[in-house]
Amino acid sequence: MFSVRVEKVIKYNENFSTIFFDSYLKSYPGQFIMVNVFGYEEIPLSLSSPNSVTVKAVGETTRALINIQTGELLGIRGPFGRPFTPTSDRALLIAGGIGAAPLFYLHDYLKTRCKSIKVIYGAKTQEELIWKSRFENVVIVTEDGSEGIKGTVLDLVKKEDIDSYSKIYCCGPKEMLKALYKHFEDFDVLNKTEFSMENYMRCGIGVCGSCVMENGLRVCADGPVFRGDELDF
Amino acid sequence: MLEVELCNLKLKNPMVLASGILGSKSSSLYRMAEDAGAVVTKSVGLHAREGYRNPTVINYAHGLINAVGLASPNAESFARELEKYVKIAPLIVSLYAFSAEEFAELTKFFPMADAFELNLSCPHIKKAGLEIGSDAELVKEIVSMVKSKTKKPVFAKISAMTNVVEIGKAAEEGKADAIVVTNTLKGMAIDIMSRKPILSNISGGVSGEAIKPIALKCVWDLYEELSIPIVGVGGITTWKDIVEFMLAGATAVQIGSAIFYSSRYFYSLKESLIAYTRWTKEKLSDLIGKAHN
Repeated sequence: MFSVRVEKVIKYNENFSTIFFDSYLKSYPGQFIMVNVFGYEEIPLSLSSPNSVTVKAVGETTRALINIQTGELLGIRGPFGRPFTPTSDRALLIAGGIGAAPLFYLHDYLKTRCKSIKVIYGAKTQEELIWKSRFENVVIVTEDGSEGIKGTVLDLVKKEDIDSYSKIYCCGPKEMLKALYKHFEDFDVLNKTEFSMENYMRCGIGVCGSCVMENGLRVCADGPVFRGDELDF
Repeated sequence: MLEVELCNLKLKNPMVLASGILGSKSSSLYRMAEDAGAVVTKSVGLHAREGYRNPTVINYAHGLINAVGLASPNAESFARELEKYVKIAPLIVSLYAFSAEEFAELTKFFPMADAFELNLSCPHIKKAGLEIGSDAELVKEIVSMVKSKTKKPVFAKISAMTNVVEIGKAAEEGKADAIVVTNTLKGMAIDIMSRKPILSNISGGVSGEAIKPIALKCVWDLYEELSIPIVGVGGITTWKDIVEFMLAGATAVQIGSAIFYSSRYFYSLKESLIAYTRWTKEKLSDLIGKAHN
């Protein structure tokens, strides 16, 4: 474990923040770090850039983290896990809620490397749509219609010409990923989709077995990014 | 060439997955069993335990330090999970308990087990593991009570942080079928920036390469004194380590922390052992205790 200092915090609303560190971590989009919020717990978080995490408050530790002050220390282990595989062609990014975090990083990374990027960014309400300006070519969708189109990301994905994309990257709540998986399975394109998965973790390095999925793969070390055809929803 | 026999269990090679590593789900046990000779589950007790708060596992230059705190579901639900295990290698269920009676009671939950391993050595639990495993009389009582309740082989997993010969003999007198040595050794790490211990439990168990010479000496000492088989565990990382442990007297070895390097680690070691036995033209089982002559 090593420590980084918090350099800047962007607080979007009472539940969401991006925390910037004073040092850049050698990493790839899709990888995660184990963040030790001193006095609380150590939790796995996807990097939203080489020097930041974007966090939603869901429990005691994440609540403390989004309210952290500039200058405080955070313990870091990592970066760990298998990242997204990039494409040089056309990319479709599908984000649901806080699932946008690793896709912010991927978006920056692909910007200089691929032909075009389209983003479908959905959430339950407007409040959960954070940092939209990070995405350039983005379509917004909310379940309650408080911003953008009313509906779900799946509604928008169904209107897309799937064959025109070389890679499709998805991150969001489990139900959303499951619905997308079924959709891509029907179109027989799972081999060009990538899903960033989530699970309770302890070690982060593939030994403890806390994050093993039904198919025996470990989210922390075999993932967190899996190709659609490696998964079994 | 790699086959060994451990208490009537036929193992396709001497490498056993150590307890606490990928051992909570049948699916991950199965993945390990594809190339391991046998697999040991995560330790299970009568009641569910949440374990300690994260950070619970950290890696340092020479291995791992963990204080997971025996996080496990209760025996009944763990048994339901283990029913799903497709037996391509023997399944050894690791048990932890706070008394001899509890240990004995646990065995009835696991008809799918091929053997039981008694955790008498976990270094970071109050009134269980090492705390009861340091008392020779109690170890003997626990082993003999478990033996009276099950016909399956019973392994006593003891710690290098005890007088291993004394505890090993006590287990043998209690009619243990084999001794497994060692569990992790007590240790800790401090973060120099925050100036606090890293693990939430402050101290934990050290495993990995750092503890290999210590575990090897335990195997050597036990081989001199006991007549039951010994399973060596502690820091085994390369195929040479396995040969070394067998020469010291181990019938089989357990591997845990090395899985950090790859989930296909057993496959890689197996291939190396095959190459080794082709070169020596000896069965691996012929090596057991050879360094003592």
